[in-house]
Amino acid sequence: MALTSQLRAALVHIHAGSSAAGLRSASSSSPQQQNPALIESTEEFVFVERLIAPSRIPDPPKHAGPAPSGWTPPAETPPPLPYMIRRSRMHNIPVYTDLTHGNRKMTLVRKVEGDIWALEKDVKQFLQELTGKDMPTQVNEVTMTLKIKGHFDQELKSWLSSKGF
Amino acid sequence: LLVVSLNPVKGFDHAWLLDYKTNAFVFQERRRGRGQHGGNRSGRGHKGERQRGTRPRLGFEGGQTPFYLAIPKYGFNEGHSRRPQYQPLSLKRLQYLIDLGRVDPTQPIDLTQLVNARGVTIQPLKRDYGVQLVDEGSDIFAAKINIEVQRASEGAIAAVERNGGVITTSFYDPISIEILIRPVPFFMRGQPIPKRMLPGEDMVPYYTSAENRGYLADPDKIQQARLALAQKYGYVLPDISRDELYHMLAMRKDVRQVFFGLSPGWVVNMAERKILKPTDEKLLKYYTS
Repeated sequence: MALTSQLRAALVHIHAGSSAAGLRSASSSSPQQQNPALIESTEEFVFVERLIAPSRIPDPPKHAGPAPSGWTPPAETPPPLPYMIRRSRMHNIPVYTDLTHGNRKMTLVRKVEGDIWALEKDVKQFLQELTGKDMPTQVNEVTMTLKIKGHFDQELKSWLSSKGF
Repeated sequence: LLVVSLNPVKGFDHAWLLDYKTNAFVFQERRRGRGQHGGNRSGRGHKGERQRGTRPRLGFEGGQTPFYLAIPKYGFNEGHSRRPQYQPLSLKRLQYLIDLGRVDPTQPIDLTQLVNARGVTIQPLKRDYGVQLVDEGSDIFAAKINIEVQRASEGAIAAVERNGGVITTSFYDPISIEILIRPVPFFMRGQPIPKRMLPGEDMVPYYTSAENRGYLADPDKIQQARLALAQKYGYVLPDISRDELYHMLAMRKDVRQVFFGLSPGWVVNMAERKILKPTDEKLLKYYTS
């Protein structure tokens, strides 16, 4: 890396020159024209600031209704139901699918607050209308989550976003 | 263990966690039959290699040439570590990132912007040479952007240009990719920004062709290719020169430039928020060559 060593040598030269210039001006009368080996500038630092990653997740901009990608913002006021489902950190609906043992399909609804049994009743009724079958569900009151047998993430996401969560 | 719930203590119709009691039957051990009279076959079957435990090795087919020897070798994975890989980015995901405000469409979209938005993960050590734009979601894509990727499919180029955007494919060598993904740790090193290397012999035809919107291609041919693609995919090519964001859409990096606005040879001082530029003739000649 001959270039960096040249640059470093130039930096050292600048510092030596600046410290010795005071002595030289006192001792000799002829001023020495020294071209600076480096130019410092702060104008282009704007471009460097653009490259720094933001440290917080930005708030999504206001959309009137669903966005082109299919993302819907939550309603202004929470819906008047006995339960509440918060959005995830990335502003999405917290419904996830799980596949264990290669064949066990599950759907998980996380971040539930309030009366989780009312949500379970509503979800069972919704799935009854959807499939015609009574889907087994599991409620965990400690972690406030709801597990459903089978993959229903797309249906549940659209149903919850239509409710306003 | 305290369980909090809205149900009252008395008169509930479902079981609580504290209600479950252990049963002697739950913890009964299941052991195979052992011994003279209760022993029986112990789960080993009846006579033969199965019961006697002398089965041959896995893959043996009784003397017939086994499957893994009958099939001839073929170099599917030969040279896999010398092949460039491009992380795919679908238009659906790009639209999702723009909708959530993680990627700013009013600024030129670069690999750095995509990685900062956590839209893609690039691993330069796994021979990743950048990101490729895939046309999944080209029907729902509706954003006017100035995007620079390393590879793009024809459908993706059509979708971007249909919405009045600009797409360019450019080459970054592995060192430039490493710097582009993680600019801040690179600036902390105190090294001058290197100049971007030109593509190798096998990639020059890709980046000099106008159909791929290569950064080394002739601008006139690119305009002709834009019109031809619009005819092929059946949409009207919007006129960008009348656009208010035309200045941003026309921004392109120099062939040897790694970052927008910063030339090779400059050293960035993060602590004092300054940029140091060399003045030596030889250095300037090297960095501008």
